Amino acid sequence: MVRWLWKKKVDDEVAEELAFHLEMRTQEHIARGLDPAAAREAALRRFGDFEGVKNTCREIGRRRDSEMRRREYFSEFRQDVTFALRQLIGHPGFTLIAVLTLALGIGATTAIFSVVHAVVLRPLPVPRPEQLVYVTTGTQGSGPSDVSVGNYVSLVDRQTVFSNVAAVRHSSFNLSGGETPVRTPGARVTASFFGVFGVPPALGRVFSGEEDQPGREQVAVLSDRLWRRSFAGDPAIVGKDIRMNGLPYRVLGVMPARFDLLAQPEDLWVPIAFTPKEKTMNDDHFLVVVGRLRDGVSRLRAERSLEPIAMEMRRADPRDNQGVLFRVDSVLEWMVHDYRTRLFVLLGAVGLVLLIACVNVASLLLARGAARSRELAIRAALGAGRGRIIRQLLTEHAVLALLAGAVGVALAAWGIHVLVAAAPADVPRLEQSRVDATVLAFAFGVAIVSSLLFGLAPALRATRASVIASLKEGGRGSAGSTRDRLRSVLIAAEVALAVLLLVGAGLLIRSAVALQRVHLGFEPAGVISGQVSLPAAGYKEPALVVAALTRIRQAAALAPGVRAVELSTQIPMARGGNSNGLLPEGKPLAAENLVQSQLSIVTPGYFQALKIPIVRGRPLSDDDRRGGQRVMVVNEAAAAALFPGQDPIGRKVACCEMGDSGGADYKLVVGVAADLRLHGPEETSPAAFYIPLAQAPDDAWNWIQRTMFLIARGDAAPAALAPGLRRAVAAVDPDVPLYDVKTLEQRMGSTLAAARFNTLLLALLGIVGLLLAAAGIYGVVSYFVTQRTAEIGVRMALGATPWTVTRLVMRQAAVPVACGVAAGLAASAVATRLLTASLVGVERTDPLTLAGVVALLAAAALLASFVPAQRAARVAPVTALQG
Amino acid sequence: MPKSSNNANSLLHGTLDALVLKTLITGPRHGYAIARWIEEATDELLQIEEGSLYPALYRMERRGWIAAEWGVSELNRRVKLYRLTPVGRQQLATETAQWAQFASAISKILLPA
Repeated sequence: MVRWLWKKKVDDEVAEELAFHLEMRTQEHIARGLDPAAAREAALRRFGDFEGVKNTCREIGRRRDSEMRRREYFSEFRQDVTFALRQLIGHPGFTLIAVLTLALGIGATTAIFSVVHAVVLRPLPVPRPEQLVYVTTGTQGSGPSDVSVGNYVSLVDRQTVFSNVAAVRHSSFNLSGGETPVRTPGARVTASFFGVFGVPPALGRVFSGEEDQPGREQVAVLSDRLWRRSFAGDPAIVGKDIRMNGLPYRVLGVMPARFDLLAQPEDLWVPIAFTPKEKTMNDDHFLVVVGRLRDGVSRLRAERSLEPIAMEMRRADPRDNQGVLFRVDSVLEWMVHDYRTRLFVLLGAVGLVLLIACVNVASLLLARGAARSRELAIRAALGAGRGRIIRQLLTEHAVLALLAGAVGVALAAWGIHVLVAAAPADVPRLEQSRVDATVLAFAFGVAIVSSLLFGLAPALRATRASVIASLKEGGRGSAGSTRDRLRSVLIAAEVALAVLLLVGAGLLIRSAVALQRVHLGFEPAGVISGQVSLPAAGYKEPALVVAALTRIRQAAALAPGVRAVELSTQIPMARGGNSNGLLPEGKPLAAENLVQSQLSIVTPGYFQALKIPIVRGRPLSDDDRRGGQRVMVVNEAAAAALFPGQDPIGRKVACCEMGDSGGADYKLVVGVAADLRLHGPEETSPAAFYIPLAQAPDDAWNWIQRTMFLIARGDAAPAALAPGLRRAVAAVDPDVPLYDVKTLEQRMGSTLAAARFNTLLLALLGIVGLLLAAAGIYGVVSYFVTQRTAEIGVRMALGATPWTVTRLVMRQAAVPVACGVAAGLAASAVATRLLTASLVGVERTDPLTLAGVVALLAAAALLASFVPAQRAARVAPVTALQG
Repeated sequence: MPKSSNNANSLLHGTLDALVLKTLITGPRHGYAIARWIEEATDELLQIEEGSLYPALYRMERRGWIAAEWGVSELNRRVKLYRLTPVGRQQLATETAQWAQFASAISKILLPA
C-alpha cells in the first residue's frame, strides 16, 4: 500500500512536469502563429518519444526516492542510536540495573545453550552421522542387550540394509613400556569398524579384512590422545611394536583427534577374531554392534528387515535364541538420551529466569516511560508520528539489549568454564562447549527478542498517553488505572515464572534428600577398591589365574595399614559385571525357567568386608573348596524368583557350566544375602548370586577377561591405602597394574554426580528467579509509593494511621502476587511432567514442596512490599502536600 | 556552428549537465525555463532536446547536484523548480574547468595563433 502510494507520487510528478513543458512549447508555437492543434502537434514532434522519456524519468525518480528513504532511515537510525546512548549514559543507575539484570538472564541462557548445543544438537564429526546405528538384541519387553557372536555372524551374513556393520568388544589393555604398566581403555573390533564411521586414519592405515582372522590379530590402531600421551606424538610410530598384555603388537595407524565418538573413551583398537566355535555361540552376549544404514534406509525399515533373520535364528537355536529380536537405534540418540531431557529442562529453567529478567526491565521502563512522557509529548507535538516515536523507543531498547548481550556473552564464557569444570565427568562431548559462532548468534538473537519482549508494551503504553494530558499534568505523567493494571500483570507474570522454577527445584531437592535416605544394603565407608586384569598370555590356565589372584590378595593384605583384602568380580557402584541364567532344581532347561542374575565370584570374606547382611543360612567359607560340594549364596531377589514362597536353603540351582556328567551343573544354595543397590540408590536391586573364587567355573575367566576387583579396609583413611596396594600388585607381576582405584564413597559420588549437579543448578536458578521476582515487586511498589506520595499525605492528614497506609500499599502487591502464585502452580502441574524421570521417592504434586514454594514466595513478596510500605507510612503529611 | 547541428546528441558528453547547472546559478528554475534560457543565451544555436533534458534533471537530482521543490510559476501554475545544491556548485566548477582545458586543447590545433 505504502509502496503503491510512493510509486503514484513519482508518476504524478513526472506527468505534471512534462505536461507543463509540452504546454509551454505549444504556447510558443501559437505565439508564432500556428493554430492550437498544429502547435501541440509540433510541440509533441519536437519532444520525440514522449512516453519513453516519461518512463525513463519515472524509473530514475523511483530510484531517487528509495535511496532517499534509505538514507533518511539510516540517518534517523543513527540519530536514535546516538540519542539512546546519551539517554543510557545520562541515567547510569537505570542503565546499570537494566543491563546487569538482562545480562544475567542472557548470560545464563547462553551458557546452558552452549552446553545443549555441544552435547545434544551438534552432529557427530563423521560423514552422514544420522546413518549410524547401534544394533542390539533382546526379547519382547526386555531391555536391549549386547549381541552374541553367533547372532552377529547371522546378521552380517544376511543383512541388506547396512552398507557396513561392525562388532566391538570394549576391553582394556595393560600397556607396558614406561616405568609402570598403564591400563588403557580400548576395544577389539572387526575390520569393518572404521569403515562404519567413515573417518580415515591420520597416520598409517586401519585393519584390513585379513587382520581380523585368528592368529593375525597382533596389530593395533592408536587414538590421537594415546599417541600423544604415551608415544610423544612420534611421527614414525607406524610399523613399530608396542607391548600390551605381555605381547608385542605392531602399530598400523593413528586415528585423528576428532575420532572421539562414543561415550566411553577408547584409546586403542585391536582386531577381534572369532574362532569357528565362537561363531556358533548364541548365549554369550558381549558385542556392541554398530552399523551404517544404506542411503535412503530408515531406522524403522532396517529394524523390520532384520526380523526374518531373527526368525531364522530363533528356529535354528530355540534354546539360546528364544524370542530374540533385533533392535536398531540411532547412535546420536543413544549417546545423549540420558542428558537430553535434563539439559532441555535446564534450558527451559534458565529461559524462565530470562523471562523474569525481561519482566523486571519492562517494569523499569514503564516507570521511566512515565517520567519521560513529557519529553515524548513534546516530540509528538513537534510532529513526530506515533510510529516514529515507537521506533525511537524500540531502538533505545535494542541498544540496551545488545549492551546486555555483550555483557551476557562475557558472563556466558565464564559460566561455561565453571559448568564444564563442575559437571560430572561422563557427560559426552561436554568439554566441547564453547562460545562459537552459533552460540554468539543465539546470544544476540535472544537479546533482540528479549528487547521486543520487555520493550514493546512499555513503548506502546508510553506513546498512548495523550499529548495534552501530559503537558497539562506538568510532566508528572498520567498514573491512570490502566497503567497500574499493566504493572500488576507484570508482577503476576514474574511471580508465576518464579513459582514454576521453584517447584521444579524444590521437587529435585526433595528427591535428592530421599536418595540420601535410601538403604543401600552395604556399608561404603572405609573401603577402597581397584581392579586387576591378568593378560591371556601367561595366564591361560584357570588354575594360574586363581593362583595369581590369591597371591595378589595375600600380598595386598600385608600392605601397611591394611586390615582385610577381598576379591570380587563385581562390586556396587562400578561398571561391568556378568549376568547368568539360574535354573532351579526340578525344572527343565528352557529360557522361560531361567532367572537372569548378576554373578559375583568372591572370596568368602566379601560379605563381611562390605557389611552385607546374611539373612538366612551361612555366608561362603574357606571350606568351600575346589572339588568339594559346589555352593552359592543368592540374594533375596534371586531367592524370591527361584523359589517363590519357599526356603531356598539346601535347594539346588544350576548355572554357569556343565556338570561332571555333561548335564546341567547344580550348586547348593547355602545362604541368602540381603539385597543391595548394585547400580546406585536410584535403581532397584537386581537378582544376584555369589560363588566362591575357589569354585569359579573355568569358562568364567574368559567372560570376565580375567579381571577382578580388589577391595580393602584398613586402619587409615581408605584413600591412603592405595600406594601400598599398588606396590603389592606390582610385586606379584610388574606387568599388571592396579587400576580404577577409588574409594566406594567416590564411586557413589560419581553415580550421583549427574543428578546432584542438575539439582544444584536448578536450585541456583530458582534462587536467582526468586531474587529477581522480589526485586521486581519491590520496584513496582516503590514506584506506587513515589507516585502517590501526595495522596498518602492527604490521607494521613485526614487521620489515616501508619498501619492503614501500610495496608493500602501492600494491597497493591497482594492481589497480583496471589494471581501469579495460582497461575504458576497451574503451569507447574503440566511442566513438572518433564521431571518425572529425575524424581525418586517424591510425587510430582508433592504437597510439602508446593506449600514450601508458596510460603517462600509469599514471604519474599511480603518483605519486598513491606519495605516501601513502611516508607509510605512515615510520610509526613505536610511535606507531602508541599511537595 | 551551423544550425543543422541542433541535435542534442552532438553536444559533447557531459556538456548538457554543465549547461543545466550553469543555468541554475542565478536561482531556481523549472525545466522549461532551463531549456529556454539555454536556447536564448545561445541565440537559438543550441536547441535542447527534452528527451535528454528531463532524464538529465532526474539523474542530477538523484546524485544530489540539484534539488527540486514544487512552486508557482510567473503565470501562477504549479511547477517543479530545480535549484543548485552545494555539491552541484562544486560539480559545475569542476566541469567548467574541464571544459576550459578541453576547449583550449582543441583550439591549439584547430585555431593556431
